[in-house]
Amino acid sequence: MKKILSILTLLISVVTIGYAQPIEPVPASLWDDPMITFYVVVGFIFVVVILVLFVAVYMLQVLNFMVKQATRERSEKLGIPYKEEPSLWAKLWSESNDFVPVEKEGDIMLDHNYDGIRELDNHLPPWWKWLFYGTIVFSVVYLIFYHLSDTLPLPLQEYQQELTLAEEQARKLKASNPVAAIDETNVQLLTDATALADGKSTFLNNCASCHRKDGGGDIGPNLTDEYWKHGGSIQDIFKVVRHGVQGTNMIAWEGFISPEKMQNVSNYVLTLQGTNPENPKKPEGELYKPKDTPADSTKVQASL
Amino acid sequence: MQLEKIYYDNKIVKAFIIATVIFGIVGMTVGLLAAIQLFYPLFNFDLPYTSFGRIRPLHTNAVIFAFVGNAMFAGVYYSMQRLLKTRLFNDTLSWIHFWGWQLIILAAAITLPLGLTTSKEYAELEWPIDIAIALIWVVFGINMIGTIIKRREQHMYVAIWFYIATFVTVAVLHIVNSFEMPVTLFKSYSWYAGVQDALVQWWYGHNAVAFFLTTPFLGIMYYFLPKAANRPVYSYRLSIIHFWSLIFIYIWAGPHHLLYTALPDWAQSLGTVFSIMLIAPSWGGMLNGLFTLRGAWDRVREDAVLKFMVVAVTAYGMATLEGPLLSLKNVNAIAHYTDWIVAHVHVGGLGWNGFLIFGMLYWAIPRMWNTKLYSAKLANVHFWIGTLGIVFYALPMYVSGVVQSLMWKEFAADGFLKYQNFLETTTQILPMYMLRAVGGTLYLTGVFIMTYNLLKTAAAGKFMANEEAEVSPMVKVAHSGGYWHHILEAKPILFTVLALVAILIGGIIELVPTFLIKSNVPTIASVKPYTPLELHGRDIYIREGCVSCHSQMIRPFRSEVQRYDPKGGEYSKAGEYVYDHPFLWGSKRTGPDLHRTGGKYADSWHYRHMLTPGEVSTGSIMPAYPWLYDQFIDKELTAGKISALRTIGVPYEEGYEVRANEDLDKQANRIVEGLQMEGLETSPDAEIIALIAYLQRLGVDIKSATANQ
Repeated sequence: MKKILSILTLLISVVTIGYAQPIEPVPASLWDDPMITFYVVVGFIFVVVILVLFVAVYMLQVLNFMVKQATRERSEKLGIPYKEEPSLWAKLWSESNDFVPVEKEGDIMLDHNYDGIRELDNHLPPWWKWLFYGTIVFSVVYLIFYHLSDTLPLPLQEYQQELTLAEEQARKLKASNPVAAIDETNVQLLTDATALADGKSTFLNNCASCHRKDGGGDIGPNLTDEYWKHGGSIQDIFKVVRHGVQGTNMIAWEGFISPEKMQNVSNYVLTLQGTNPENPKKPEGELYKPKDTPADSTKVQASL
Repeated sequence: MQLEKIYYDNKIVKAFIIATVIFGIVGMTVGLLAAIQLFYPLFNFDLPYTSFGRIRPLHTNAVIFAFVGNAMFAGVYYSMQRLLKTRLFNDTLSWIHFWGWQLIILAAAITLPLGLTTSKEYAELEWPIDIAIALIWVVFGINMIGTIIKRREQHMYVAIWFYIATFVTVAVLHIVNSFEMPVTLFKSYSWYAGVQDALVQWWYGHNAVAFFLTTPFLGIMYYFLPKAANRPVYSYRLSIIHFWSLIFIYIWAGPHHLLYTALPDWAQSLGTVFSIMLIAPSWGGMLNGLFTLRGAWDRVREDAVLKFMVVAVTAYGMATLEGPLLSLKNVNAIAHYTDWIVAHVHVGGLGWNGFLIFGMLYWAIPRMWNTKLYSAKLANVHFWIGTLGIVFYALPMYVSGVVQSLMWKEFAADGFLKYQNFLETTTQILPMYMLRAVGGTLYLTGVFIMTYNLLKTAAAGKFMANEEAEVSPMVKVAHSGGYWHHILEAKPILFTVLALVAILIGGIIELVPTFLIKSNVPTIASVKPYTPLELHGRDIYIREGCVSCHSQMIRPFRSEVQRYDPKGGEYSKAGEYVYDHPFLWGSKRTGPDLHRTGGKYADSWHYRHMLTPGEVSTGSIMPAYPWLYDQFIDKELTAGKISALRTIGVPYEEGYEVRANEDLDKQANRIVEGLQMEGLETSPDAEIIALIAYLQRLGVDIKSATANQ
């Protein structure tokens, strides 16, 4: 028992630590990740619960032993032969299974003998019989509820319910957060760290596969230089992220990620400007100068 | 009464035992390789023969049909002779059975790594091998029924009932599921398509578990457990009830592998309720095994044989409770496609089959060699290391299954998926995959210890090829009183027929309406047959075993539709698969579902991704497929493929097979030109082009329907 316990404890600690391994950039300290703390705490509680249970069972056994010891001494003193009472559990177990006691097996021994194997004629365990009846009743009720009375939803009805619920949630979300949906006309230039960090994680998860982790470009173009195929303003970038570019590898991300996340990732892409990663893809498209740079204001106006 | 001297054939049992041990080691080693590939893709070795998609069926076939199969034959042949008091029916048939089965295994070991596969799980072998299996199975059947007929015991013991059920049901399952249309010697298309193919396959797949991994081993348990414990079987009554209810109910439960899919609702519900009703019949076997040990539990503490058997029977009980619970819709919605199922089957496989086999070997070998087990201590070490192995295998897989499933389903507050990138959910569970490999290694180590122990035992003893026994001739006793079932036990042919009827009912009621009643598969007008190039691509997809890791069945859940088709908003419909011979729905999502992958990425993305998946998707555990770039499709087969499919109902026009290659070239050239624009040079006949064509076709037909409306 002890062996099993120590193995379990070991396993649980391995599992909790293993599971919590961060996949993406390691936070400054391992403990910064709230999930790790959560799992460690849960693991700890679990271990404590097991220990408490173990101790409790042990105490119970000791008490039991002491009670028995006392009874035996008393009966010895009185000169009555001591007979151990079967435990409550053993009695319950024997009754619920409708066992014929091992000593009386001879009564139910059948005259079968197959290569020395004999067969007893014990009753079906009552709980087993009721389990069987129960599952049959369950099955009949199940079929009636799903197929005759339409009380419970079949898969497609379930799906409709799920969609209705989602729509309701979306409506509520809009009501509580009346900011107009973000699109390329009102997308904002952001500088706050949380938004950019969120943008970065979206980038690493979805964009890095073609643009490389550092944005240096691979299947998709280099995002760190000043050359852009479809314009380098926040609006241009958002538009490309949202709608993709027909006939190229750039897919439309609308529907996959929220407008807010598209705004964050577009802003993150802009922070990659001038980072000069190693071994970048050569520039594609045209040189783009931000319009708030005074030197270029005329050119931007001209292009408008 | 005059006693007669007869000789039991131990030699055939020995042959099957040797095969069991060898293929156990081979099959588990291949499994370990597959487990390592999942967190260390380097171990795919960039070779076609060793990539995961081909290794996984090799593992499942080796452990099921080679390891467990040979053990089944060893156990059946050993116990049957003694229970029926006769030598096996015919020695020649026994040896044809043995060598035939080993040749089939050899054929599987060659063809599966070569990519010759039907892709239907546990029925991957191609049609000539299917025919061989059917023939050898019939040889086994004749040998078994023959032995029963020449028995000296009037009545058949419960173990024999289970062997009979095994024989008839596996024959029916194998023949019905293997109906296929040959194209070449090693290529065929399943006779059935889409939903129907799925139903037949899982009727087969589920009952392969029932009648190949369960019933024969219940029979083996009924012989070896009372022998090893030296106790009478607990309840004859329970044996009768649980035998008939088990075989009758089991056959219905197949559709629980297809909950929330395009299978008609009524069939899904039947699958669920019959799985629930299966709890008690399965537990009947467990109870009869465990209660037989009443009065012998003190010996379980010392005797490794009994220990193995107790854990085996307990694992059986756990797996047969878990299975029905997994068939409940709400549990299935979480567990299906995840590692939970992998954990479930391995509790059954490693615990029930593996441990029962080990117990049987530790018990039988000292007796066949007329000696004692070389080391009881080593057997105990094997027991503990094996048990630890099962724990280390199953627990991480449970964690991984639940974690990944919850990640797939989690929505953020903004109404979008929290983990939109499938890969995030994969990298999260890689530590669990590593732990699982540790569990597998422990279990395999145990098998090595056992092999050493058994070899030493055999070396110390003297093998009795023909074991002498003194038996009395059969005395027919007229039935008087007692159980009427006892009469049936004296009539093997009637018994076999009744068992056959019991297992046919469920199959017929589920399969026939799905085939005959049109409304079960609503058609979609815009769904058209695959083009010749796509057909070649699909055959490559089948050959590489993509279906091992990628499903093509988006269930009607908001989280799945949002993940796989956020714009179209379409889950997978029955009518989309009517030309899919075979169906490729898959049963496990190690990678994302691909049913709506058509048009999602550009051709060049697929081109690069199949070559270097780990670079295109950092952290991806998908193997690379470099050979697709310098192997070419065989255009001479196009006509044959088209004609074969037309024969089984795909509406290609008469004579199209002659022109098919023109269309094929046109489509291939279009893809190649597109790739060229991105600076990727390749031949239009390269296999990768066909595969890209197929991937780009997946799930798009239904969209052209909405576009037309």
